[in-house]
Amino acid sequence: MSGPPGRVPGAVPGAVPGEVPGAVPGEVPGEVPGEPALFELPDELAIDTDIARRVIGEFIRAQLDQAGFERALLGLSGGVDSALVAFLVAEAIGPERLLCLLMPYRTSAPASVADAREVVRRLGCASELIEISPIVDAFFGRDGEPGAAGPEGLAASPVRRGNFMARVRMAVLYDRSVTWGGLVVGTGNKTESLIGYTTIYGDAACAFNPIGDLYKSQVRQLAQAIGIPEAIIRKAPSADLWPGQTDEGEAGFSYPVLDRLLYWMVDRRRSPEELVALGFETALVERVERMVAGSEFKRQVPPVAKLGPRTTGIDYLYPRRRPGSARR
Amino acid sequence: MQPLRIALAQIAPRLGLFEENLARHEQLLAEARAGGAGLVVFPELGLTGYLLQDLAAEIAIRTDDPRLAGLAAAAEGLSAVVSFVEESADHRLFISAALLEEGRVAHVHRKLFLPTYGLFDERRFFAPGDRLRSVPSRLGVGLGIGICEDFWHLAVPDLLALDGAQLLLNVSSSPGRDLAATNEVGLGTATSWRTLMRAYAQLTTSLVVFVNRVGIDESIAFWGGSEVIGPSGRPIFSAPLFDEGLFLVDVDLADIRRERISLPLLRDERPELLVRELERIVAERAGLALDEPAEVPG
Repeated sequence: MSGPPGRVPGAVPGAVPGEVPGAVPGEVPGEVPGEPALFELPDELAIDTDIARRVIGEFIRAQLDQAGFERALLGLSGGVDSALVAFLVAEAIGPERLLCLLMPYRTSAPASVADAREVVRRLGCASELIEISPIVDAFFGRDGEPGAAGPEGLAASPVRRGNFMARVRMAVLYDRSVTWGGLVVGTGNKTESLIGYTTIYGDAACAFNPIGDLYKSQVRQLAQAIGIPEAIIRKAPSADLWPGQTDEGEAGFSYPVLDRLLYWMVDRRRSPEELVALGFETALVERVERMVAGSEFKRQVPPVAKLGPRTTGIDYLYPRRRPGSARR
Repeated sequence: MQPLRIALAQIAPRLGLFEENLARHEQLLAEARAGGAGLVVFPELGLTGYLLQDLAAEIAIRTDDPRLAGLAAAAEGLSAVVSFVEESADHRLFISAALLEEGRVAHVHRKLFLPTYGLFDERRFFAPGDRLRSVPSRLGVGLGIGICEDFWHLAVPDLLALDGAQLLLNVSSSPGRDLAATNEVGLGTATSWRTLMRAYAQLTTSLVVFVNRVGIDESIAFWGGSEVIGPSGRPIFSAPLFDEGLFLVDVDLADIRRERISLPLLRDERPELLVRELERIVAERAGLALDEPAEVPG
């Protein structure tokens, strides 16, 4: 692990006085004497969870209402991000209007499906289990038997396979959005979006995203406030592409450190030099700067060659929810 | 006693739906009248929604638009402030607020300061107004109207008060942001606005009315939290955050006189000093005069 300790009591070393939010009275979330804290929440990332729930609830209701929909659906992985979105959607519009899709691949951890089922059970919402193994295997092949991708597909890297799985899940969600008659709700957080730890047109695809401006630590804080089962909050975040994979193991840094770094970099506009002065390791700062810049394309609508007098996204600018845009 | 009942229309306008918003205004005017209000204040762009982009040109109205006249007629017997996109005779678009009194449009304020930074892009779509006037009102006190960002510039409430306003009205579409747990009310935006409005009330010894919308345009949640603040800077009423509603607040306009007699800040203002120093600063900035250093002792 690199970078300064995630939780600095009182203030950030070298920070400008007055710019660091004052200490949130020494509270470690979920701390019970003799038990390890449920998760680590850096002081400057602590949010008012009541306000967050209110704003997100209004946001979810408005997105559906303005688009002419009453229902929503999402892919429930068993992780904290999608569990939180499921809870937030259920809180905003009622669990009877939510469909959760569980879409495991044959190597997915059994615990993931069990955790997802527990979320469904607690919410009392509709759910459907759709194994994506036949679709994925039909493409890449299995047990030496080539699939649609030809013999080469058998040697596909985990990254290719992971991206394909994410896009299969997206395709399933959008198919079910028709049969369920609902909008697909995004479940990606701000941390993974900023570093580009997402699959473009895969897990990043959605009609709207209620938690895309929350860092992973803030997702955990909100998850605890809304009553997500502790096991889900506590377990190591994972894309679950192969057994034992974890985000932090793969990326080589911890979420609290990364969240703090991104917060000071993006939200507080600190330069790389200033970030190092705040106590972050130079190598980490440089690496994360590269990841953020290198994934800019994943966060934006693709550019259209400007040819005509008025071009969408450039000088033809309308709100998505303009009059007449709602489904009738 | 000079009692006045103020109705704060903390509404969630529908983006781009003028007729729907107009109907909502008429409905709330009727409710406010039934509730005994003398002044009804609607938020910035209450008739159109905020994040209009290219819709601005399509939803703009002239100040002689029959729909505005109809609203003025519906406000007969009340003072009402409503806000919309105004198109001028030479086809500039303004974010405007109109004071409706005696069944007509008594005054129009065009937003002076158009934020074009961060999440704001107003100057791309709108022209800034260039007149600031306080206006007499049937309520017996002068009114000074500002729109949202106008009150993030110190000179605006100051000029309005010097020009005779005793009631400062700010109509807003303020997007809520910054949920840091350390904020006074869990929302950075709300904390900032409360600080500013209370300071203006106290410094201008005026009654301040702040009306902010609620609801969602695209990614943005407007936070409401409308307020009435007494001339001593003490909040008289704070509306809930994010809830739509018509809130009736009773004030005593005689409080303004009492405050101004006991704390004669406005009497002691030095507008001629302000003008002199501003002329110097403007000339220096324009390169028309040498930068005159402040006096150095010895």
